[in-house]
Amino acid sequence: MNAFDNAGSLGAEGENRDELVRTAPHAFRVHTRAYTDAEVFAREQKQIFGKIWVYVGHESEIPAAYDWKTSHIGTQPIIVTRDQEGRLGAFLNRCAHRGASICREAKGNSKSFTCPYHAWTYGIDGKLTGIPYHHEPNGYSEHFQMPEGLYRIPKVESYRGFIFASLNSKVQPLLDQLGTAKLMIDRRVERSPVGELVLRSVPYVARFKGNWKFQSENIVDGYHFIQTHYAFVKLQEKYQDTTGDFGVHKGASISEMRKHRIQGTVYGCPQGHGINFRRAANIDDLVTGEYADYHKELRALRGEEEFGWIIGTNAASIFPNMGMIHQQIRTWRPVSPDVTEVRIYLYDVKGAPDRLNEGWLRSQERFYGPAGHGMADDVEMFAVNQQGLEASAMDWLILDRGIDQEKLLDNGDYEGMLSSETAQRAFWRRYSKLMEQA
Amino acid sequence: MASTLTRAEAEALLYREARLLDTRQLDEWQTLFAEDGVYWIPIDETKPISENASLIYDSPARRDERVYHLLHTVFPAQTPPSRLLHFINNVEVEGRGDSEAVIHSNQIIYETRLGDFSQYGLGELRPIVASMRHEMRLVDGAWKIALKQILLINREMPQGNLTFII
Ligand code: FES
Ligand SMILES: [Fe+2]
Repeated sequence: MNAFDNAGSLGAEGENRDELVRTAPHAFRVHTRAYTDAEVFAREQKQIFGKIWVYVGHESEIPAAYDWKTSHIGTQPIIVTRDQEGRLGAFLNRCAHRGASICREAKGNSKSFTCPYHAWTYGIDGKLTGIPYHHEPNGYSEHFQMPEGLYRIPKVESYRGFIFASLNSKVQPLLDQLGTAKLMIDRRVERSPVGELVLRSVPYVARFKGNWKFQSENIVDGYHFIQTHYAFVKLQEKYQDTTGDFGVHKGASISEMRKHRIQGTVYGCPQGHGINFRRAANIDDLVTGEYADYHKELRALRGEEEFGWIIGTNAASIFPNMGMIHQQIRTWRPVSPDVTEVRIYLYDVKGAPDRLNEGWLRSQERFYGPAGHGMADDVEMFAVNQQGLEASAMDWLILDRGIDQEKLLDNGDYEGMLSSETAQRAFWRRYSKLMEQA
Repeated sequence: MASTLTRAEAEALLYREARLLDTRQLDEWQTLFAEDGVYWIPIDETKPISENASLIYDSPARRDERVYHLLHTVFPAQTPPSRLLHFINNVEVEGRGDSEAVIHSNQIIYETRLGDFSQYGLGELRPIVASMRHEMRLVDGAWKIALKQILLINREMPQGNLTFII
């Protein structure tokens, strides 16, 4: 096989047309089709988004009784609700009558929902409460079986404010699916002395040309930062903290930034998550600096060791559609094989000083959003990557980086080095397992 | 020196700014601002700045960084670069005494990326539709921008690449 003989088919070609991930000792390959094929996309909806827990929103978006917001489970439009008792619920955003969309606003507060078409009405609990002209002579027969209400999503649960839902009534317990991602959520939530994150109302939204899995892979891709964001690194070298970085990007030069980028550990979880943990190196500065009171309070609450992890630079890709990095919750939804919508919700760490929350906010505003100095380059890369895969005469993508260094831990996580592809391999292992299940 | 800004003067200011942006004369564009001038594209203009993220909220230092980014670094979202054309309409001037004025305008900016137009993201013609508010201040006899606020009509909605100056 010569060097141009398609990367890493790893021998045997073509016995299994459906094969999306191929592994061998020291090698890990993903098939082009996984990012481009309409049949694969349809199967993902069934096998992944239809089977497991999916992040659908945060409790702080619907804090009061009768609050609701729209969301998605994969391509399925849903409504996430809080009922009169404060309980969470979720329903397909589709009328039980002839299928019109019930909510046309992104969020609201109402005791009932009225379908805009023939005005069937439903309670906040989804129950059908009224059918106009039900009993007219030309109305419904006495044998008519009135539907109970909106199609209820069988499972809805919140973990520390993060709402997950599943279309599968037999889905595994949420904490089992979260695995080490639970620790990531804990560490972010515990930045708040009262254990609460509060989303700001309006997210950054991008609808990008590119498959949704590019976003899952990218948010924990330690390998791309210095290259894709080279201009940002230059800006950082020149401007440091003067334009509001707020100490988020460590290192005063390109080489220091690169050094920081390869510190820490990445965990690739059997549930498909990729998680980067870097313990803070500057604890002494934090507990004596401008926000000393806040940091001392956290240290007292969480203990010296864990405090360092909580306040460290952590990031996670939580399978299949959620990310955490900086002071943001990111969520993405597949629209079609080559279109994805991603939302970035910035949040306040409740109980942290206002100046600190605002500093983090301005810092993220500088990097993220469609005009930010970082995110626009990632979104560009997704289009560039989707474009590249149009060249589908070549089959495989190479995800081998750092494979020999990663080691399997007792809990099933792989532990690898930052700037390896340990996180991405974890994603694809879980992905192919789900896709291959009957 | 007492002075009010006429609509003809306001239009001339906006046309000049548009030309500087369309021809990427961004150092020159910077000189249109007052020393503390802010360049702002909110998502939710009704919320206090301190509580909400904007698409852009550029203090003078950040404006400087944005211009440096565009003129002196190479980055994927502008490689190949955008080409812009501003169209300006509905200009009104709201006088505010002798040394301050607000210019309201509606603008449509067409943007396209150069390069291999057979590829995703390149060669599309995109309209950016906005109402703009230039808060002007007379500084040493010249009108300077104290605040340029851009309200995109689709500001809460998904945005494409906005890594140029509108
Ligand atoms: S489709 Fe909703 S009432 Fe008819
Ligand atoms: Fe990135």
